[in-house]
Amino acid sequence: MPVPKIIFTVVLLLISALFSIIPGLTRPDLFFAVTVPLQFRQTADAKRILRRFRIIVWSSTLAAIAVELATGLALVALLIVAAGFFGALVSSHGRALAYAAAPSSILEVNLAAPREGLPGGPIVALLPVASLIALGVWAELNFDRLPPRFPLHWGFEGPDQWVATTPSTLFGFLASLALLCLFLAGSAWGVLNLSRRVSTTGARAASERNFRRRIVQLMIVIDFFVACPAWFALFQPSAMIMNVWGSALAVVILGFVFSLIRLGQGGSREALATGTAQGDHTPDACWKWGVFYFNPADPSILIEKRFGIGYTLNLGNRWSWAALAVLILVPLALTGLLLR
Amino acid sequence: MTLRVDLKSSIPVYRQIVDGLRILLVNGELNPGDPMPPVRRLALDLGVHFNTVAEAYRTLAEEGWLEIGRRTGARVVERAVPNRADAQSGEAFQQRLKELVAEQQSRGVTRGRIARELRRIADTLERT
Repeated sequence: MPVPKIIFTVVLLLISALFSIIPGLTRPDLFFAVTVPLQFRQTADAKRILRRFRIIVWSSTLAAIAVELATGLALVALLIVAAGFFGALVSSHGRALAYAAAPSSILEVNLAAPREGLPGGPIVALLPVASLIALGVWAELNFDRLPPRFPLHWGFEGPDQWVATTPSTLFGFLASLALLCLFLAGSAWGVLNLSRRVSTTGARAASERNFRRRIVQLMIVIDFFVACPAWFALFQPSAMIMNVWGSALAVVILGFVFSLIRLGQGGSREALATGTAQGDHTPDACWKWGVFYFNPADPSILIEKRFGIGYTLNLGNRWSWAALAVLILVPLALTGLLLR
Repeated sequence: MTLRVDLKSSIPVYRQIVDGLRILLVNGELNPGDPMPPVRRLALDLGVHFNTVAEAYRTLAEEGWLEIGRRTGARVVERAVPNRADAQSGEAFQQRLKELVAEQQSRGVTRGRIARELRRIADTLERT
């Protein structure tokens, strides 16, 4: 079997393994995005729903591998895996709704909860953007000294896709990376300032803070990594530099992913799972298919995912749609500029 | 220093925020000079509209408990205690107490338990 097919198969298996463990990473009183009693996961009904979910996920993965090996259509294989996962999730969410518990209507907010800020402050978070702006200014002043072409994509053997150095390609490239950096820094700030804290008192609050800090650190570290290709493209230090960059990025991301898995969603694996079902203080009815949160009455723009690790947008908030529009339209415009 | 809100209560959230904060202020858990959480932060944590929290802060500012700065946010201030409540406010207080007692009774809370709670509050008041 050719090496790329082996790698692709291994990646599909890893993705499915990750999908299989996701239900165990959510808050203990949330099961397939439904608020349930704390001990529900130990019941036979819960185990049956989970088993069925895993069977669907793994069946679709095996079907995808078979399709890929037989036809070589990698995109179709990925779509099969995605459809299987989404179908399994929607179906399990529907089944779990039958066991929904009334979440506590009492909210307690610690008025003295410590303020959380970006690690190193906003200046550190904006350094990558600032470095790209500085690079852009330097490139403008030294345009004649720049190489006639620069790489846009790197493979294992070094750069494999180049474009001519023109003002539109160069500044389009720099602007794309700067926007991505800005998006990451903005998201990190948003997690701290535009999301709801589920717990602000006791041990749960401390572990939730720890979880949030880890997510924010991950975004800021990736922010720095994102700015690097611009420097490599213009100064072209070594053909293999991107391999070092890619390996370092993979190690960092894997490290954070393992750390977040250990903490569980919202730090819930670290905190003691006792007391009544609390959920995340969002109504079950606002979670469409267990994935999309739509609650116009909630001022949060970002909200803890009920299924998976991290945060998602509150689609009931108009600012979320504005952010989505910027996220989709600006990269499209810049890609068009680069390809023109 | 915890603010407690019951989202299923018949009392509006705005009222619960005002009442809850006033308890903390009267009991000295919030002292002059203490900064209040930003309106946006408290609204996000409670999952209520920003205006609900802003209105609660404004009510407490009108009562003299808070000072609201455009840039500095809300802060607890030294409040001059009114000399003596007039007869009308005394009657209003009695009326509210009666209403509260009746509400609890209608919910099935026993007279004995209500009396114990009132006694406990009275004891705390006398001690402080």
